[in-house]
Amino acid sequence: MTFVLTMAAAAAAAGIEMLEALAIVLAVGMTRGLRDALLGALAAVAAVVLLCLALGPGLLAGADLHLLRVIVGGLLLLFGLEWLRKGILRMAGRRRRSSSYDEFIEEREALGGQAVAGSGADWAARLVAFKGVFLEGLEVGLIVLALGATPGHLAPALLGAALALFLVSVIGLVLHEPLRRLPETQLKLGVGVALTAFGTFFTAEGLGVEWPLGDIALLYLAALFAVTAWVATRRLVRAGPFVEVVQ
Amino acid sequence: MSAVLRSLRQLILGETWTIPLGVGAALALAVLIRAALPEGAWQAAGGFTLAALLVAALAWSLRTRR
Repeated sequence: MTFVLTMAAAAAAAGIEMLEALAIVLAVGMTRGLRDALLGALAAVAAVVLLCLALGPGLLAGADLHLLRVIVGGLLLLFGLEWLRKGILRMAGRRRRSSSYDEFIEEREALGGQAVAGSGADWAARLVAFKGVFLEGLEVGLIVLALGATPGHLAPALLGAALALFLVSVIGLVLHEPLRRLPETQLKLGVGVALTAFGTFFTAEGLGVEWPLGDIALLYLAALFAVTAWVATRRLVRAGPFVEVVQ
Repeated sequence: MSAVLRSLRQLILGETWTIPLGVGAALALAVLIRAALPEGAWQAAGGFTLAALLVAALAWSLRTRR
């Protein structure tokens, strides 16, 4: 069961990030040229893969398993709780809903207003595609590395990421209609719940906890954080017109 | 370059300091509680204690003002 849960969490988290990267690449491709967008995106993918290959095994080799679980759990908690926080604010109407389609439109309008340089290489377009894909790709890499860092989890994490890549590529080929229909806000909230559950599970195991019912703990932890998100959203909706505190 | 570094910081730590501070405080408290409790008690209840601390950290990060 852990195999399926890890694969699902990796697929959902990676898929969401890849969708955001796809929105940027499509926007650059449609306004400045597909070739430059793809070159920037491919360079970014290569940079992320090289970074993960260089850092991943080095960080994991020889690390104490308990310490590794705490580090990996802590990383997943940082991602998961941030996604949860944003998701709750979006569901409560305190923050604009997440939409890769809207990002695509905004990016396309921003790029459309800029002059295209001659007939040579469009380095501005390549750089925009590179930066967008690199940052989103790095988040995918970190989440997949974190989910796959403990023994037995690497294969499902990589399979999940591969599944996400396949699905996002299909969406990319069919272009932006499916992009508009995806309930991204709810999906991101769900991913936040899953990553926080995994983060809590690994961190506690690293600190010597033995979860009742073993891996089933992932399910009741996910239920706990889903209920917490629901209650927090309801409270924020009832509280009226407040603004988010930003440090 | 500084924009990329700022994006990287936001990517790992988030938009605000509340989540990293909350996670750090929850982990520090969990370690203190583990040291104070008998080993068996921590093994059985430590996970739920950590989960409760993280729920509190999330609630703190959602503080709002008028």
